[in-house]
Amino acid sequence: MVDNREIIISDPTLRDGNHAVSHQLSAEQIAAYCKAADNAGVTVVEVGHGNGLGASSLQLGEAKTPDHLALMTARKNLKKSKLGIHVIPGFATIERDLKPALELGVDIVRVAAHCSEADICDRHISFARSQGVEVWGCLMMSHMISPALLLEQARKMESYGAEGVVFMDSSGHYVPEDVRQRVELLVAELSIEIGFHGHNNLGLAIANSIAAAEAGATLIDGTARGFGAGAGNTQLEVLVPVLERLGYNTGIDLYKVLDAADLAEETLMKEMPSIRSNSVVSGLAGVFSGFMKPVARIAKEFKVDPRDVYFELGRRNIVAGQEDIILEVAKELAQRAIKREQLN
Amino acid sequence: MNCQEMTRQDCIRVLNREREIELEPLRQSELVVIGGTGFVGTWIAEMVAALNDEYQFGIKLHLLSRNVEQFSNHAPHLARRLDIQLIKSDVRQSERIPMNADWVIHAAANPDVRTHASKPIDTASVIVDGTMSVVRTAERLGQLRKLLYLSSGLVTGSQSQSLNSLPENAKGAPAPDASFVYANAKRFAETLCSAARAQSRVPALVARPFSFIGPYQSLDTPWAQTTFLSDALHGYPVRLQGDGLVIRSYLYGSDAAYWFLRILTAGDSGDVVNVGSPVGVSLQDLAKLVAQNFKPSPDIIFNTAPRKLGPSSHFLPDISHAQNRYGLSVFTGLNEAVKLTALWHQKQNTQEKFSG
Repeated sequence: MVDNREIIISDPTLRDGNHAVSHQLSAEQIAAYCKAADNAGVTVVEVGHGNGLGASSLQLGEAKTPDHLALMTARKNLKKSKLGIHVIPGFATIERDLKPALELGVDIVRVAAHCSEADICDRHISFARSQGVEVWGCLMMSHMISPALLLEQARKMESYGAEGVVFMDSSGHYVPEDVRQRVELLVAELSIEIGFHGHNNLGLAIANSIAAAEAGATLIDGTARGFGAGAGNTQLEVLVPVLERLGYNTGIDLYKVLDAADLAEETLMKEMPSIRSNSVVSGLAGVFSGFMKPVARIAKEFKVDPRDVYFELGRRNIVAGQEDIILEVAKELAQRAIKREQLN
Repeated sequence: MNCQEMTRQDCIRVLNREREIELEPLRQSELVVIGGTGFVGTWIAEMVAALNDEYQFGIKLHLLSRNVEQFSNHAPHLARRLDIQLIKSDVRQSERIPMNADWVIHAAANPDVRTHASKPIDTASVIVDGTMSVVRTAERLGQLRKLLYLSSGLVTGSQSQSLNSLPENAKGAPAPDASFVYANAKRFAETLCSAARAQSRVPALVARPFSFIGPYQSLDTPWAQTTFLSDALHGYPVRLQGDGLVIRSYLYGSDAAYWFLRILTAGDSGDVVNVGSPVGVSLQDLAKLVAQNFKPSPDIIFNTAPRKLGPSSHFLPDISHAQNRYGLSVFTGLNEAVKLTALWHQKQNTQEKFSG
């Protein structure tokens, strides 16, 4: 048991969950969930397109609710909880996206980059800091680099002014020992808060998040019912009581967070996140959880086994934003199959 | 009093009590500051201007920098002086150093940790290639009396738990990886100065700056003191990271300028001297001090979840060598330093608003 150590829970149900519904969350859904999460005492509620601010596009999927409406709605319904946004430089520009978002009352900016590309976050982090909001850096697909390189990238974010660094298991690839090793290193070497964002492809999101907390992480992400890309995220309403039972303090009301999760299931989800065969494969292959829907669709179109597609994407180290490659891989696999048939 | 008058008063306060006498060797000489338009260079220019105006020293100051335009913007009263010459030059091509220089201070390096992180090779190049170029040029300066290299307090690595403060001869070094490229490059640049002394008898000595505070420090840099000041200036709450118990110390700009000139003129070739304040302050107390100097006083908040940091959170210079050998001490206490800095930035903001 730990002695009442404070853990900040950040809830990206309305951001990562948007992946699961092809970014079709409505303003009404946002309002209802924000109210429930706020009532439960969730510290940070993250809102937006699955790929963050400014990412609504033909290639990544057009959001039903534009950024400004989503943020305005969330702001109106969050009284105690902080309003967070996910910002990937490139998708989000400072002038077009970040400035207006801050004007709408965002409290926490999570500037995210692929795990080896923290450099791209310099200007966005500096700008957000200069505007007086809290800034965390997020390193996505963190399993793709070694702990030492992860530290190097996290150090960059710290030097740009990030006040916390969250490393993301975007493909649900980690086992608890992987997480523990990384958190321990980051905690020992950095002077800012360390966080973890899990995905549940291998059924380990809760275990990995607990490992992170035990190793010294103070920022943990969780979503209602695990609503999120692929097999979903760390399940918020399970994470909170488990942390509390272990002696951590989340400041979240159990009954109310359970109510928020029930509401999320009833009003946000077309289907509950579950660990399907393809989720297991994408977790093993280390492929971004958000690829689940396009892989399923494209594999079907080309009549190839989606599991082969995942392993090939993993072999090529494909990351979010490279959705075009799914098509290329499926096409190649299909052509190879035809050649094999012809040879036979 | 406007900003310009404030910084002049800061210099006069330091030079009072006949401290200017210690700088007599500078009289009627030519001083070159390479990398002379940053915080340190600007303060040295302020001090030289005060010595010339108030004590008729007749120093000719040459400031070499890649950013002379920026200097003209942030210190126009210095840029237009006849006794200060701005020379646009990259430290790596230091052939533009005036050949009749008596004194050279090499302060060229980008102290911005963001640049160190994003461009470690460029950071190393400016420091190492730049110092190589400076010492090569120094070999050819017929009148050179002293070359002062501004290194860094970071060159001996982090402060061990067993030390209350870091002496110049502390054993230790930064880890040899990209994250510590600035400290490692500074360390090697010190070696180059030593090599120039050994091979070519260049009269080089080293000052190791710790943390500074004062006017001309860009509030855009993500250091604790600048971030607190920036937040307070913009009316935001001042946010603290960790447990707020990290200990740092801060030497005021005019004090630092005097220290550098004193070490330059009185130092022996080969000497290494820490430059900083020995008076530690927790970041929590520093934040309070900053907040006190603004109206309305901003809230101080701990962001996220405070966690206790390890012993490496202390970083203070041992200045006994500076005190005993050079008679140096802290002239501007921390409370006064923070007050003056806050006031200067507030006035600067107002002046900028009125000038459109």
